[in-house]
Amino acid sequence: MATLAERAKSLRPSASKMALDSVGPVVLAIGLTLLLHFVVGPAVGHSGTKILLDMGINIVLAVSLNMVNGFTGQFSIGHAGFMAIGGYTAGIVTYYGGYKLFGTTNPTGGFLGAGQWLFALSCIAGAVTSGFFGYLVGLPSLRLKGDYLALVTLGFGEIVCVLLTQSGAVVPASGIDAVPAWQLPYHVGGAVGFSPLPFYTNLFWVYLFVCITVLFAYRLKESNHGRALLSIREDEIAAEASGIAVTPIKVRAFAFSAAFAGVAGGLYFHLLGALPKPGELGFQKSFEIIIMVVLGGMGSVSGTILAAIVLTILPEVLREFSDYRMVVYALALVLMMLVRPQGLFGIREIWELGRERRKKARGSR
Amino acid sequence: MSAALHVDNVSIAFGGLKAVSDFSLTLREGTLHGLIGPNGAGKTTVFNLLTGVYQADHGTISLGSQRMNGLKPNQIARAGMVRTFQNIRLFGDLTVLDNVRIACWSRTTTNTLAALFRTPAHMAEEAAIAERARELLDIFDLLPREREQAKNLPYGAQRRLEIARALAMDPKVLLLDEPAAGMNPQEKIALRGLIRKVREQFGLSVLLIEHDMGLVMDICERITVLDHGEVIADGEPSAVQRNPKVIEAYLGAPNEED
Amino acid sequence: MTTLVQTLIDGVALGSLYALIALGYTMVYGILRFINFAHSDIFMLGAWFSCTIAGLLGWAVGTPPTWAFIVVLLAAMAACGLLGFIIERLAYRPLRSAPRINVLITAIGVSLFLENFGQLPKIFGNTPTKMPALIPDIALGSFAGVRLSLVNLIVIVVAVVLMGALEWLIYGTKLGRAMRAVSYDTKTAALMGIDVDRVISITFVVGSALAAAAGFLQAAKIVAVQQPAHVSWVQLGLKAFVAAVIGGIGNVRGAMIGGVLLGLVEMLGGAYLSSELRVVYVFTMLILVLLLKPEGLLGKTTVEKV
Ligand SMILES: Nc1ncnc2c1ncn2[C@@H]1O[C@H](COP(=O)(O)OP(=O)(O)OP(=O)(O)O)[C@@H](O)[C@H]1O
Ligand SMILES: [Mg+2]
Repeated sequence: MATLAERAKSLRPSASKMALDSVGPVVLAIGLTLLLHFVVGPAVGHSGTKILLDMGINIVLAVSLNMVNGFTGQFSIGHAGFMAIGGYTAGIVTYYGGYKLFGTTNPTGGFLGAGQWLFALSCIAGAVTSGFFGYLVGLPSLRLKGDYLALVTLGFGEIVCVLLTQSGAVVPASGIDAVPAWQLPYHVGGAVGFSPLPFYTNLFWVYLFVCITVLFAYRLKESNHGRALLSIREDEIAAEASGIAVTPIKVRAFAFSAAFAGVAGGLYFHLLGALPKPGELGFQKSFEIIIMVVLGGMGSVSGTILAAIVLTILPEVLREFSDYRMVVYALALVLMMLVRPQGLFGIREIWELGRERRKKARGSR
Repeated sequence: MSAALHVDNVSIAFGGLKAVSDFSLTLREGTLHGLIGPNGAGKTTVFNLLTGVYQADHGTISLGSQRMNGLKPNQIARAGMVRTFQNIRLFGDLTVLDNVRIACWSRTTTNTLAALFRTPAHMAEEAAIAERARELLDIFDLLPREREQAKNLPYGAQRRLEIARALAMDPKVLLLDEPAAGMNPQEKIALRGLIRKVREQFGLSVLLIEHDMGLVMDICERITVLDHGEVIADGEPSAVQRNPKVIEAYLGAPNEED
Repeated sequence: MTTLVQTLIDGVALGSLYALIALGYTMVYGILRFINFAHSDIFMLGAWFSCTIAGLLGWAVGTPPTWAFIVVLLAAMAACGLLGFIIERLAYRPLRSAPRINVLITAIGVSLFLENFGQLPKIFGNTPTKMPALIPDIALGSFAGVRLSLVNLIVIVVAVVLMGALEWLIYGTKLGRAMRAVSYDTKTAALMGIDVDRVISITFVVGSALAAAAGFLQAAKIVAVQQPAHVSWVQLGLKAFVAAVIGGIGNVRGAMIGGVLLGLVEMLGGAYLSSELRVVYVFTMLILVLLLKPEGLLGKTTVEKV
């Protein structure tokens, strides 16, 4: 049989296939982002926009967590910790960096102005930092079989909260020049949180990052790299026997997932205009993301998106029952494991499910 | 003929139990070699040692001229020694096609970034993987079921899929752990043909664990017999069959043949 | 020197609490191989039950009799034991043959449920309560500035008595032999005629009762009982799990040693480095153990059968 490289030579994709599968979705994503920003946003008003923004950030969080908890079958429960790291990093960049660059800690420039680009850069800096921490956390815990990752990520989230609480007070704009630059990252607000951050987050940036996250996750899943992750989730020993270096690629998936959580942190905190107090980034937030993944389907990108959308809107609609929200989530988790443990869509995407059902119907006839 | 695999004095103990002691075997290039013995003799343990799932307490394992001791299972698989599992270990939720495509991973060259941007090189490689996976599925008569979840296949088809998956890694040495277990007589006959065929087509050396003596005696050119973790006989099928130690080992545990 | 002795005493007292909780984690892990996240909530509920029961018995005011604390302790243990039994029956038993990740998710769900259900206005509510002073806050002896309080002594004594009882149960009775057999190899144990479901139920009851005892002791010690999801309680429970891992998960004696060790490390770090960073020391220790000796101090490496 011919080797893969030889075969690949004769299987170069045609221009139309490239346009359809490779470039097309990217163009579509940019179009969608612009549409949301310029048409949908103004149409739904301030409160509608707020929900759309929350929704987008939740999609980034849920889809990225799905890369670990869904694709790879590991169980992280410290996603909020990575979100915090990314958010604080991004905050340092826009607040102190913004002052150094523009001489003010307030938002600068209009749509796609200098301030916004700094903001985008800050989210990427957040991604790099939390990705790095993801690597550090993943390395010792993913070597081991068992539920150690759950424990270590939980502990990690706690450590992040405690350490952030220990940080110094935010330096007001008037005093920044007096503090040596290398000391500034220490001044991120301590127990009261990092504020006031410039309000940079808007529909454009949120949905741009949503599109990047979703394309990343989906294309990963559809490639042989993603299938390698799925094989680990299915059977680690068989994956290893199939030539897959299990630990390194688990760690890599975990680091990527943490990086996207970092982006979400940057987006989230510049939406609030303040970083929430470290205590608010503990388990509860992580659990909310886990629930989206579990309900939507561990391994299903579209399923988690759907779950993230529903679970963003539902609490808004059911405000008066907010006391019961976590109780209901908790029961939903337990019941889901009893009734439909793979989640709504399991490993499949929404459209694949329809196809399978049709096929089954045909088969039974 | 040179040795595809050379195992020398390999042992392992679990707690007090010596599961395999001083096991030696030479698998000659291109042969079909049987590894038989009563239940619990240590056959699967030998496979686990060869493929790096367990680490030998002592002894050496060489694939061609390459030492395998201390390597991880995935490194051994890449080096060219792959296996199937007695208690079928497929990627159950994934499709039949995916099961085979995954095994191509170690032979691919485009990186994650290429996958994300869907570069032409990456797409060509994906197409090549799919093409090759389908060819393998075709050999094993699984092509019509490529979209089904592996766990939904009937037993015999699952066993064949495991072999197809193993072959996707371009092995030099193939280790089959009871591939005929659970198959009906027709399937067993077909399997015989298949094993011979892929051996020719892929230039393999095969080590085969099997309880079906008819099958083993029919297709193996050489046989090693294990009992209580020790080699009690090694040679041509006809000689092994007449070996009094072998007869005793099997008579001592009469329910072996089905 | 004074600080050192005082810190060691405090460390052992704290470590005994960890050990009591860690036992429940380790026993469940030993048999079912999953982290029972809800265990730390049982611990916390132990504190709430103690508080509520003492209130119901009218000991919230005045001076309760000296034996009051034993009554409350036993009642809380019974209540949590029952709760553990119910949780195992309803949530975990149906998943006996399910993939481990599903069981883990269920455990997280149960934990979330206990935390937030208890927090509902109609249940325990959202505000901290004061634990009735069943154990008077007196110092037994003060020597050169070192103070041994009655509470700490009772904590240590109760922990030692309960752990002794557990040792006897596991290594000295027929039931204990069944528990060890199930933990070693569930399938074979079932074939030998051991009623596995019953053994698992008992494991949950015993583990939950021990956690309740820890909950009672902690409440008696700090006198305040916060709302169920309060960070400090959840953290305590988690640290106890870390203790179990450090000692060697699945190993009962390991849990005891790991608990005391962790208590000492935390108190020493708190006294000599910074008391704010206690959770950091604990998880640093966890990561060190995972890197250097993942099977824990008393754990044995096992080879997975393929
Ligand atoms: N990981 C392990 N831990 C403890 N004992 C083991 C382990 N793996 C294998 N054994 C023991 O080693 C012995 C040999 O087992 P093995 O599975 O190799 O036998 P086998 O020859 O393949 O038998 P069968 O024909 O039933 O498949 C058995 O007694 C088994 O219980
Ligand atoms: Mg075997």
